[in-house]
Amino acid sequence: MNWSEIVFKPVFPLWLILVFLAGGVAFSLFQPRFVRRRLSRQRWGTIILLRLVTVTLLILLALNPSWVARREVAVSPTLAILLDTSPSMGLSSNSGKRSRLDEARALLLEGSKPLLKYLAEKFEVRLYELGESLKAIKPGDLPGLKTGEKKGDLPGAIERLAGNNSLALLCSDGKLEWRESSSSNLPIFTLPLGDPEKYKDILIKTVKAPALAFRGREVTIDVAVKGYGYPGLKLPVALKEGEKLITAKDLRLDDRTGEGTVSVSFTPPEVGSHTLSVSIPSQLEESVTSNNLATFSLKVVRDKIRVLMITGAPSMNYRFLRMALKNDPSIDLLSFVILRTPSNILNVPLQEQSLIPFPVETLFGKEMKSFDILVFDNFVHHPYFRANYLESVRDFVQGGGSLAIIGGPNFYGEGGFIGTAIEEILPVRWAGREGYRRSPFRVKLTRNGSVHPLTRLSMLEGENRNLWEEMPPLDGVNPLRSKSSGTVLLESADENAWPILTLGNYGKGRVSVLATDSAWKWYMGTVAQGKGPWAYQRLTERWVRWLAQDPSLDPIQLIFPERGGTIGQEMEVRIRVHVDALFAKSREAVSISVFNPEGTKIESQLKPGGQNGEFLASFRPEKVGTYKVKVETQGGQREESLFIGRSSETLDGFPHHEQLRKISDSTGGKILTARDAIIDELEQYGEKSRKRFIEESRFPLWGNAYVFIVLISLLTVEWYLRRRWGLI
Amino acid sequence: MISRRRFLSCGLALLAGLFSPGLKSPWCAAFPQFFFSQIKYRGGEWDPNPQFVDAIVEELELRTSIKAASERRVISVDDPALFFSPFLYLAGKHEFDPFTAQEREILRRFLTYGGFLFAEDTLGARGSGFDQAFNREMKQIFPQHPLKRLPPEHPVYRSFYLVDSPGGRQGVNPFLEGIILDNWTPVIYSQNDLSGAWSKDRFGKWVYDCLPGGEPQRASAFKAGINIIVYSLTSDYKKDLVHHPFIQRRQNQ
Repeated sequence: MNWSEIVFKPVFPLWLILVFLAGGVAFSLFQPRFVRRRLSRQRWGTIILLRLVTVTLLILLALNPSWVARREVAVSPTLAILLDTSPSMGLSSNSGKRSRLDEARALLLEGSKPLLKYLAEKFEVRLYELGESLKAIKPGDLPGLKTGEKKGDLPGAIERLAGNNSLALLCSDGKLEWRESSSSNLPIFTLPLGDPEKYKDILIKTVKAPALAFRGREVTIDVAVKGYGYPGLKLPVALKEGEKLITAKDLRLDDRTGEGTVSVSFTPPEVGSHTLSVSIPSQLEESVTSNNLATFSLKVVRDKIRVLMITGAPSMNYRFLRMALKNDPSIDLLSFVILRTPSNILNVPLQEQSLIPFPVETLFGKEMKSFDILVFDNFVHHPYFRANYLESVRDFVQGGGSLAIIGGPNFYGEGGFIGTAIEEILPVRWAGREGYRRSPFRVKLTRNGSVHPLTRLSMLEGENRNLWEEMPPLDGVNPLRSKSSGTVLLESADENAWPILTLGNYGKGRVSVLATDSAWKWYMGTVAQGKGPWAYQRLTERWVRWLAQDPSLDPIQLIFPERGGTIGQEMEVRIRVHVDALFAKSREAVSISVFNPEGTKIESQLKPGGQNGEFLASFRPEKVGTYKVKVETQGGQREESLFIGRSSETLDGFPHHEQLRKISDSTGGKILTARDAIIDELEQYGEKSRKRFIEESRFPLWGNAYVFIVLISLLTVEWYLRRRWGLI
Repeated sequence: MISRRRFLSCGLALLAGLFSPGLKSPWCAAFPQFFFSQIKYRGGEWDPNPQFVDAIVEELELRTSIKAASERRVISVDDPALFFSPFLYLAGKHEFDPFTAQEREILRRFLTYGGFLFAEDTLGARGSGFDQAFNREMKQIFPQHPLKRLPPEHPVYRSFYLVDSPGGRQGVNPFLEGIILDNWTPVIYSQNDLSGAWSKDRFGKWVYDCLPGGEPQRASAFKAGINIIVYSLTSDYKKDLVHHPFIQRRQNQ
């Protein structure tokens, strides 16, 4: 319907215009009267007319008349078509050949009259890709569209689309993010993809494993399996580390629910972080095989730290160390003290002796691997050891065990470990031919010692330094020098600066050398000072834990998120570095490198954390596999591995059409299954939601140059006539 | 097969041993892990057997791997060196003056935190003045832990030898007494005058006869002495499970 009218919008108040009108008419009528005698009747009548026309025009201009034309206009409703690109949309559709995304593409683009084309005639169609975020696309982008790594975020998309669109058509298999509480005034019509009836898959639903396991103690891992299309099937569930099979157990899927659970148990033989996997063989016609494998990390620690201590002779050092180790419930100590050497003479028959044979063959043969730490305390090996035992000790350390040497006169006996397999793994070398020097000396912390957790007896740096300065002097030292691979924590406070406590790594294991047998004086010395012996006890405890490779005693610590990581998600790694206070806040003090499963360095960020020596690193893994995170500081480096798995999205590809129904119901839309139904329903709803409005066009009649020219022309004509007629 | 290096070092050690009795093989280097620290107290007689050290130290070095110093260090209770004494020795025949409160506190602290005291009544009779004074002091220092007879399974009886009776110059008690704190016995007490049995004069003759058992009783005193010293340096090492079957078997023989 069309109609039009003239409307006035006065530029001045109406009363003012009337005043102008009255003034103008009066002036037009009276002013020519003064010149009437000089002009003919016709001429002054002409002037009056000209003036009246001019005034009329001015008044009309002030009234601002416009011509307004109106017509009713109907607008096509806006239809947002959302294409779910969640990972499950890449799975095969009910035809078994095309993916669900292909199915959606075909529906929109293929056929004699493609759906997209048809809808474009009825609606204003806007196309969107619904992945981790909502992205507007053009029809030309549809053929190249690919599935992403994360579930589509539908609530987020609705938030963006509501208000700008009349309705939405969601093409999805239902495996997207949706909250029951989500509601909107945007009706969502859903187009379900995939066929739940024909879908066949077996997936590992959950793997429940403890975050922490103890070496030598059985661990039980609960595995829940879900099967689609395989009722009552019996399956073997295998637990592996890498390619190595640890154990396997059978599981039967329930006839009705298709679910089954099984518990697999094993005893972890080695400490450390282990990447384990649970797997099920692929079945015939299975849609997804990648979800037949679940990988997880298991950190294995010691239940008890097993320490084997061989002591060269009864001594105060042995007694106080034994006392400290025995008092620690987490340590299992087996000690052998050489009570008599081959040069000692026994004067009594065997039944009057309590001596037992030193089971050297058993201990340093098959039993050695059952220990975590081996301690040689002032021990001379020649009378008891064959050369191959020392090689076994070296191999033990290389394989991850730890060796602690406590000095004393016997340490250098018969050349000590010079020329043996042990010399190679020690972080120190002998400084000369002098085996042992008995003279009082004090110890002091080195720069490394002042920040290393082992010698950090107090959290406060100043207090820690004071504690060590107040330690009583010792009275014997093995003159040694540190190798370049060694880290000296304590040294003698004299001009020789003999290394007293030196740490080193060899292979996967650790080595420490305490170059004195009088450390027990730190115990009794603090007792004599009226303090408790806690400093010695804490030092011993930390010394054992460092040797046992307790991560909390590492100068560089990497803390990964407990839940692990998945591809596409940013991973945050907390780094704690025990560095000199001067460098603790400096980012230059620490550098990080992250390597993907192929060994390529990937981009990572590093920023200071909340506390001194704490940093926060982040990176975004893009591939499944084991990533290596390497942290380097001025004092050393540390490398740890982290397994990145797939996102949980791909684990269960069963089309979740019920979810689509809920989405439609809660938003006022409908679930549509056939092409014709889509067209009918959308058309019907589109017609209802079609919006109409009145289009108004306004044309100002007087606000233009012509009126101005006419006015000027009238005044000019009047001026001309008056001049000609001799009035000017 | 013996290595060339070892052959040469053993040979040199042997030569050194022949020509210089004071030198020993490298693993017998003279760095003492053990020495006696004898308490000099007020009143009574603090040094009843001044010649006891040489024989027991010689025996100790001959039989065991312990490197001992043949001198003894004489200290008072308030001497700061007391805390660095591996083996504190207290002996006497007669009553001595009570320790001061400070001395008792020092001894309590020393013994509670891991120190060791071997005390003996050298009179050779029950209820002597020393015995009464020592019991009085121990009651003051450890009121909750009385001196009591150490049971036969105590590690001091099996720390080196398997000892049934401690022997001594006098056979007053066929056992040792002690104060037990958890797994550690910081005080061992004898009334048999073990140091009397160990004492030799400068000509190498025994100072005292051992009664009533004679030389076997002296031999037992040496065994007990060595056991007490080994116990002071190894604590309850012989209670470790690994020793049980061996000791059991020998005790049954």
